Amino acid sequence: MTGVLTWALVISALGVVVVRRRSVALALIALQSVWLGVHAISVASDQSTGLLVAGAVLLAKAVLLPVGLAFVVLRTREPQWIATERHPLVRLTLALAIALPIAALVPHFGLLQPGVERAAVGLVALGITTATVRRPAIFQVLGFLVAENGLYLGALSAPGGLPTFVELGLVFDLVLIVSVAAVFSAKIHEELGTGDTSLLGGLRD
Amino acid sequence: MTEALAIAVPALPAACGLLVQLARTPRTADRMNVAGALASAAVALIVAVVALTRSTTPTHGSWYLLDGATGVFLGVVAVIGLLSALASPAHLADHGHGLFRARRSRAWYYLGFYLFWAALLALPLIDNLGVAWLMVEATTGASALLVAYSGRRNALEAGWKYLVLTTFGLTIALVGILVLYVGLAPRGGVLATLDWQQIARHAHSLHGQAALLAFLLIIGGLAAKIGWAPVHNWLPDAHSEAPPPVSALLSAALLPVVILIAWRVLDTLGPTLHHGVAKTVFLAFGLASLAIAVPFLWRPQAWKRLLAYSSLEHMGVLALGIGFATPLATAGVVLHFAGHALAKALGFYTAMPLLHHQPAAGEQPPRGVARASSGTAAAFGVTLASLSGMPPSPLFFSELLILLGGIAAGQLAVTLIAAALLGLGFLGLAHALIEGLAGGEPEGRWRRGPTVRLVERLAVAIGAGLIALSATAYLLPGWSVVRTLMRGVT
Repeated sequence: MTGVLTWALVISALGVVVVRRRSVALALIALQSVWLGVHAISVASDQSTGLLVAGAVLLAKAVLLPVGLAFVVLRTREPQWIATERHPLVRLTLALAIALPIAALVPHFGLLQPGVERAAVGLVALGITTATVRRPAIFQVLGFLVAENGLYLGALSAPGGLPTFVELGLVFDLVLIVSVAAVFSAKIHEELGTGDTSLLGGLRD
Repeated sequence: MTEALAIAVPALPAACGLLVQLARTPRTADRMNVAGALASAAVALIVAVVALTRSTTPTHGSWYLLDGATGVFLGVVAVIGLLSALASPAHLADHGHGLFRARRSRAWYYLGFYLFWAALLALPLIDNLGVAWLMVEATTGASALLVAYSGRRNALEAGWKYLVLTTFGLTIALVGILVLYVGLAPRGGVLATLDWQQIARHAHSLHGQAALLAFLLIIGGLAAKIGWAPVHNWLPDAHSEAPPPVSALLSAALLPVVILIAWRVLDTLGPTLHHGVAKTVFLAFGLASLAIAVPFLWRPQAWKRLLAYSSLEHMGVLALGIGFATPLATAGVVLHFAGHALAKALGFYTAMPLLHHQPAAGEQPPRGVARASSGTAAAFGVTLASLSGMPPSPLFFSELLILLGGIAAGQLAVTLIAAALLGLGFLGLAHALIEGLAGGEPEGRWRRGPTVRLVERLAVAIGAGLIALSATAYLLPGWSVVRTLMRGVT
């Protein structure tokens, strides 16, 4: 795993936190999956079929999920910028303030490269932060995909990767969850006229 | 033979969900639902009985595990699923559609319902942490749209919150599973590396820090799905907005079944951690859940929301019982799980006539049910009396067993705090019971329609089941299933 790839993944995840356009964020997620998929296939010949499966899964994911979500984005045009969104710099600061300490505090847990461990955990943290600080429903789905890519980064660095069954099950679950989230996203837009989830605030005790 | 039956347990309901798609009329769909539910529950109950009879010598199949815990959890999930399937047509007749187009809404409902039930039935059987995780994630996918089935704005919010929070929780749990997998197989592993038995056998080879990290991430992540405080935010919303038969499955089956996965993690990974750390995590979740739930039981709440906070309380009680880990507490956990499931399911089914005749109960506490419908009042009374732990409810005995187990475990302070919180919770629910039955202005009597008749029958059947459970409380501490549970995964 090269340092360049790891940094590219982290910077693109930060991009998802910052960018305004949903389409740009979608493209960043697709790029992440392509990078991870190509890397998995390039190392698969030396190590295991598990990594080959992971590579194929990631490349399929790089195409299918963004295309599906792009369809939702096209159908749910936002009439204007979402006013409740925080300023990009505030979002970036929050994301770094959460992800950096988490990545730094996680002890070494056995992956071949400690730097990759931190990046994987950092991506999961950035994914969760994205879902927390971004208001549009689609960005919360994208946060989940960033976190999943962090998991894949960790799994690819594990000797032999994750078991093939888990890889395939994971992609099935991923497709299921993202499909359900896409339906929700469309319905929320239909109900509110916008994908701004902060307007869903009726349930309070 | 056993393998074929084990495969049929999740396969039958999944097939039923797909077959219902072929139904041309709502009536046909409802009939297929009843037939499918009876067949699915029958097979699951047979496997549960097989598991219970073999509880002293657990059976490990190619992908499944039959032990005492499998038997108890599978049996209860089968019964609750069957009851919810039987209650669904009455609910659907009242609430045609919302989220989906009218023509297909019933078919979508049954598809989601049966896939959800299939995943819940598979979970107690699965002998592998990785596969169990996949199945827990699948329950989210299958049930999130059901939560939002009414299509109302609040239901959309509840479903979205449920989807996002539990998915991220499970992502954290998966990071923990990755840490565990890498620790167990530093030179590469296979799927069987994550089998419960393999984890128990090789967990001592894990580095201390890695074992602790894996445990905290897995349990912390699962806690979001279980709805343990402080990561419970989705629970009251999802339970109160979902259709009542789905709320019953969420509360009485989903939460405890995910607790079973957490329990198996405690059994297999816990012994490698520093003395008592793993159990302390469970006790902390238990006390936090009780402490957060009790104030809400004192506040005037809409009926289903009150039941949801009661779920939070009872999941806390289960966490405490598992954390105490003594034979008495373990017996209490088994009894509490079964008693809570029956009582809570009845409570959610009671919401059907209640919300039909008193729509304000969707936003405010119900009032004067005794004057309006004696059958509904009976169900209302059985539910709240049981959930509050009023004798002779099985939850009274289970809570007593768990508290005695806590004393036996030497956790006197935790036991005393838990007893005080349970006492306060009892008072809150007793107040809701009196107000709900006798409070408010007089209303006319409700027509004895299909939902009222259904709830009357369920009140009798579930009431009898609860009394039978209370009668078994005396025998449970010496039961072979409890002894097996104390031994962990073998």
